[in-house]
Amino acid sequence: MWKIVARRITIMIPQILLLSIFVFLLAKAMPGDALSGLIDPNIDPKAIAEKRIQLGLNKPWYEQYWDWITSALQGDLGQSFRFKMPVTELVGERMANTFWLSLATLVFTYLIAIPLGIISGRYNDTLADRMITGYTYIGFAAPLFIFALVMLWVFGFHFGWFPTGGSVEPGSTPGTAAYIASKLYHLLLPALSMALITTVTTVQMLRNEIIDTKFKDFIVTARAKGASESRIYNRHVLRNSLLPIAAFFGYELTGLIGGTVFIESIFSYPGMGQLFLSSISLRDFSVVTALVLLYGVASILGSLLSDLILGIVDPRIRIK
Amino acid sequence: MPKKIPKAVLLLLALALLLAACSSNNGGNNSNSSPSPSSSPSASPDATQTPAETKPPLQGEDGLFNIANFSNVKSKTGEPIEGGQITFGLVSDTPFEGTLNWNFYDGDPDSQVLGWFDEALLTWDSSYVYTNDGAATYEVSEDGRTFTFTIRDNVNWHDGKPVTAEDWLFAHEVIGHKDYTGVRYDSTFENIVGMKEYHEGKASTISGIEVLNEKQLKITYIESNPSLVTGGIWTYPLAKHIFADIPVADMAASPQVRSNPIGFGPFKVESIVPGESVVYVRNDDYWRGKPGLDKVILKVINPANVVQELKSGGVDLVDSFPISQFPENANLSNIEWLGNVDRAYTYIGFKLGTWDKENEKVKMNPDAKMADVNLRKAMWMAVDNDTVGKQFYHGLRWNATTLIPPSHPEYHDASNPGVAYDPEGAKKLLDEAGYKYNGDFRTNPDGSELVINFISMTGDQIAEPLAQYYVQAWKAIGLNVQLEMVEFNTFYDRVGQNGEDDPSVDVYQGAWAVGIDVDPSGLYGPTAMFNFPRYENAENDRLLKEGVSEKAFDKEYRLSIYKEWQQLMVNEIPVFPTLYRSIVAPVNKRILNYAIGDGTGVYLHQLQVTQDSPVVAE
Repeated sequence: MWKIVARRITIMIPQILLLSIFVFLLAKAMPGDALSGLIDPNIDPKAIAEKRIQLGLNKPWYEQYWDWITSALQGDLGQSFRFKMPVTELVGERMANTFWLSLATLVFTYLIAIPLGIISGRYNDTLADRMITGYTYIGFAAPLFIFALVMLWVFGFHFGWFPTGGSVEPGSTPGTAAYIASKLYHLLLPALSMALITTVTTVQMLRNEIIDTKFKDFIVTARAKGASESRIYNRHVLRNSLLPIAAFFGYELTGLIGGTVFIESIFSYPGMGQLFLSSISLRDFSVVTALVLLYGVASILGSLLSDLILGIVDPRIRIK
Repeated sequence: MPKKIPKAVLLLLALALLLAACSSNNGGNNSNSSPSPSSSPSASPDATQTPAETKPPLQGEDGLFNIANFSNVKSKTGEPIEGGQITFGLVSDTPFEGTLNWNFYDGDPDSQVLGWFDEALLTWDSSYVYTNDGAATYEVSEDGRTFTFTIRDNVNWHDGKPVTAEDWLFAHEVIGHKDYTGVRYDSTFENIVGMKEYHEGKASTISGIEVLNEKQLKITYIESNPSLVTGGIWTYPLAKHIFADIPVADMAASPQVRSNPIGFGPFKVESIVPGESVVYVRNDDYWRGKPGLDKVILKVINPANVVQELKSGGVDLVDSFPISQFPENANLSNIEWLGNVDRAYTYIGFKLGTWDKENEKVKMNPDAKMADVNLRKAMWMAVDNDTVGKQFYHGLRWNATTLIPPSHPEYHDASNPGVAYDPEGAKKLLDEAGYKYNGDFRTNPDGSELVINFISMTGDQIAEPLAQYYVQAWKAIGLNVQLEMVEFNTFYDRVGQNGEDDPSVDVYQGAWAVGIDVDPSGLYGPTAMFNFPRYENAENDRLLKEGVSEKAFDKEYRLSIYKEWQQLMVNEIPVFPTLYRSIVAPVNKRILNYAIGDGTGVYLHQLQVTQDSPVVAE
């Protein structure tokens, strides 16, 4: 197993390097740079030209890439032009928010998926099952950003149950119980909005697995032995049906990255996704490249995690 | 592993979608708003507060709005309560940067955050000339080159230390330092005697700046001109007792700028959640007097939510409001709308040459496609901007006539009609100039095909229909104009922000936010990079020079010069203005003593409320 991990990580390095070149080129191919937003008669074009030289934006791309990659390897991802602070510090600040948002979303995803999936699978073709599958189809069809906007309007503005932006109440002191409560409160709506959409895949998968499993021979055997229905479902069917769900966990993480980009923008939640988008539109290259790289690494690690979990939970497909 | 691929594609797709959305948001702003801290209100003796008693309805019977019916001062209704707190919405789809010091910031979101707790030492009146009502006063020497500033005795930093002449000098030293990271070092700084030598490291001090005593500073400028007293002086001190030990290169990123910023304004920063909110408390020691409010909360709100936030009382004030959403919300029951003429105009520009990188000046091309002034004039005559303003903007933007917008009421020549809408006249003009029809479209006078390439920025939902309208109007007079809609960054790249003009662009639609000083040489001078039409003319040079000459200290003279310049631009048409713009600002009804624009004589420390919680829409 450790051999596999080592092997996968070795493969990862050229993957990431390639990704970094690709990302860097794409970023450079975008029209404009961090300074083109400063078109303003009150700022001297000479001052801008001087800044461009200072930032090295006038050099050819390979030189810029080399400067960037060498310092990135030493842990220095450069300076954000817009925020005027080191990218690592900036991303660190935002990463905490995104981390909690993703975690909350994951928890909600499974909290919703598992009961719904079980009900739907166990009582398939009943009214309850039809309603749940109906919901999953709506979930598949509804674009996340529209759904999130509706949620924000209904629960944030119309009923006023949830805050409509930010990650914490202005003025709360970090570390206090009130601060943590406020953070959680701000998390709920965005996390729930995302979970309600992302969970549908898991619900469907669980339903299909359960239906599949419950007609298997060993279940018939268990029934013949006189096991109670609840014992059959809780001990035999569920355990076997959860395997693919567990294996899917790693991919779920990658999916979250895409989701948080939307959700954070809609809920004005200052995390990495929001930072990513605004950095693209403002051509803050050092932040964009750092974030894409980070996302890339996260996706690769996510799939590695999935493979590993799969190997652990299902001995039949253990990778050699 | 088959699941992996669809995921990645989805992410890319999502990004592509969002990219489009984002850039259009940016483009909607057209050019950037002025970085000059225009929001800081200032006093002038003649600007008395006249709350309109009987206001005309904002909307006329024809369903159109007229900015003249808007007041820029909140009406006085109800009695103020003691203290209270308000919420200020910073409307932005990105978090604010958090460079919270006037000496280092460069973006508008930050300037909104700064405006509550720090201010300039000098204030200006409604025609943007420095006054003696601010935290400092000034005297000018006979030759107009030496300024003696006196900071008022009761002006103190939030930590109780006095704001000194030394602090003011320090700001100049930091901005002039070679390691300075901001964008403020420019020709206005180089206009200080000895600044260039200091910047280049040849001198250890700035010879033109002298600290006379704790509160007095003397600055000698190389050249004296009227622009000096309208934004040509750096009026933001930097607290030396706090920043002296920090290397200049690290200042902008230091916690003293980012998390514990200091100023001498009416409110103090109590706490900051980076990028999303700031809590301010009253500064009892404020030099103008104790502020009326106990607390101000600033929070970033998404432009998509601004109306909801206003309706629910989630915010009392916002820094900007998308004008396209105004007509639907003009009658919100809990909101009073303020309005003002924006310091900006939209225009159509003609490429008449290229940028000469070596000599850093424009190079006109006499053979340019748009070189014939008759063609340009006909294109101006062909468009009905009055109707554009009514149809697309409900009257909140209106036909522009000259290149000095009415936001500078003295300098804007209202008697100059520009070029009026006259499509028949345009056809006649083209006929006479030799542009003959060949099929559906006209050709050049020499008979060659005439295809005009027009680029315009993507933006809000109006951007494309508006550009299409222009194309049709030009088609109606027989011109074959090809439109290309491009995103903000691409647009300015192609127009030539880096000096590399795209030769395929002939006509473009842009917008400028103009500075507080009326001098247009930064946009139309022969050495200005932002002179995108690449236009040059001896008379233009002369007028632009005269406008900032010593003689122009005589206001009448300066007025006559700019009047002449406006007429010259109407004759020459390197660009023609299309629309003037207005800004509208929603204010919750409980707010008292609030105004937008300059020279209103209303200050932030006077802000009050009539009740504890915001009025909610019915």
